[in-house]
Amino acid sequence: MKKYSPALILFFVLISDFLIASDSGSVISETQTVHQLPDTLMVIPFILLLLMIATGPLFYKHFWEHNYPKIAISLGIVTVVYYLVFLKDAHSLLHTLTEYLSFIALLSSLFVASGGILIKVDKKSTPLLNVFFLAFGAIISNVIGTTGASMLLIRPFIKINQNRIKPYHIIFFIFIVSNIGGALTPIGDPPLFLGFLRGVPFFWVIENVWYIWIPAMILILALFFIVDSFNKGNEETKLQQTYSGKIEFKGLKNLIYLGIIILSVFIDPGVLSFVPSLAPFPIGIREIIMFLVVYISFKTADKEVLKANEFDFEPIKEVAYLFVGIFATMIPALQLIAHEASVLRDELNAGIFYWATGILSGLLDNAPTYLNFLSAAMGKYGLDINIKSEVQEFVIHDEIYLQAISVAAVFFGAITYIGNGPNFMVKSICERAGINMPSFFTYIFRYSIIILIPIFTIIWYIFFLGKG
Amino acid sequence: MKTIDEVIKAKTTGLYYGNRLIIPFQAHFLKVVIENEIITDFSSGSKGIIVNEEDDFTNLYFLDYKDLKNSLTKYESIKFVVVEKGKDIFNLKNHKKIAVYLEEKHKARIEETDADILFIE
Repeated sequence: MKKYSPALILFFVLISDFLIASDSGSVISETQTVHQLPDTLMVIPFILLLLMIATGPLFYKHFWEHNYPKIAISLGIVTVVYYLVFLKDAHSLLHTLTEYLSFIALLSSLFVASGGILIKVDKKSTPLLNVFFLAFGAIISNVIGTTGASMLLIRPFIKINQNRIKPYHIIFFIFIVSNIGGALTPIGDPPLFLGFLRGVPFFWVIENVWYIWIPAMILILALFFIVDSFNKGNEETKLQQTYSGKIEFKGLKNLIYLGIIILSVFIDPGVLSFVPSLAPFPIGIREIIMFLVVYISFKTADKEVLKANEFDFEPIKEVAYLFVGIFATMIPALQLIAHEASVLRDELNAGIFYWATGILSGLLDNAPTYLNFLSAAMGKYGLDINIKSEVQEFVIHDEIYLQAISVAAVFFGAITYIGNGPNFMVKSICERAGINMPSFFTYIFRYSIIILIPIFTIIWYIFFLGKG
Repeated sequence: MKTIDEVIKAKTTGLYYGNRLIIPFQAHFLKVVIENEIITDFSSGSKGIIVNEEDDFTNLYFLDYKDLKNSLTKYESIKFVVVEKGKDIFNLKNHKKIAVYLEEKHKARIEETDADILFIE
């Protein structure tokens, strides 16, 4: 794969230079900035990028594999130029750049730190063991994030199932560990963390989501158990195989790095008042720590573990390139959605928030979608998302909206490969292990729509229909 | 010509130049995984790979790559499922999983994949 990092660096430098120049010395505050709405046609680059992500690997694989970094960056630049030249809105770009760097710092640090850990489970795979494994992954994703849990557990999950592995194993892993599992804490999934930074109390999520999370998990795990029970695997290989029942763990020091990453997510001026803000730079102390962890954990990792994990930066590079395009091109889409939501806010009930946040979280990134819909929901009460005390007031006022938005943003991240960062990374790791993964459309039509949408509909019917 | 077992036991290395990998044995190829590309089409019209057999070795041309060395890290390998020429391809016991690591001076180290490496046939 070609290297385009100079182009990426140039892209950031150009934006940063312009932003620093145009914003000279001013503190970024969303409350103080009113910008013109983008032209509706400006969602075309975003739609084009999504279509290419969906169709590229299917219909023009070779062209796509060689050119996706150029395409993602070029389409991103179209949006950037439009905002700078026509809207003269550097603030939206800086805000998005900050979110992107935060996103990629967390993902890359978790990816590299967990890449230095090897978990070997030498047990006979059974549907029940798999259910326990996935349930464990769901719980642990609330402690180390869906990305950390996915990176840590996908290899042992493939390993224990190597004689009977099918794409559905990986799909359910993405559903449960990479997405839905992490709905209980702000560490679990980025949108919840953004909510926490804005003032949603840390334990609000678990207190208000657990009774939706548990039935959702039971339904998905039960479906998995039924499907997995029909998989008899390779009988010939199974007969030859003996199992020690041992669980081995290598790369202990990387657990410390994982701990540092988890702790560093709280190093934010919004959480700890003594933490300095580095504004107008699009990066904070937290991101600097995370990028340092990337460097140190890679340099000090056990080489044997890296070899066993076939460590390569390509999966995270792929996410970094695609999401730089997604983050840039989705700015107009999100602004237009937020505008429409605020216009129609009196007509929007919890059910509409649930479906709108959900569907858009699956197609866009779930973190900014969460914030935009939270902003619109707060707007119903004349509250401002940028004022922490008002967010806390909103939480007390009517929790059904925040509940619908939180559940939808996390759960629906599972409906496409691009819904949540770890989805793509899990796919890439599996392909490197020789597993043929479903295409973008097959994933949606054969798995998401058939398995997830009925479950999400039940959740809507029970918890959100006609409420709010 | 050496068998695959002899090559692995003697730690005989292969060679690579650009997108060409030369391995010192002949085999029936069933599956090749390079990065996240899974190749199972070894026909003459394959878009991913050209297999060209010589008397004592096999040339593999990876058509999507200009330079293999630039694409793979030292921790990554090109993985193969192969069957020794002359052995029963339908007997799964004859299916061998091997990994090729690209080293300095154009050398390609050939190993049977150990239990740690994830490679699904």
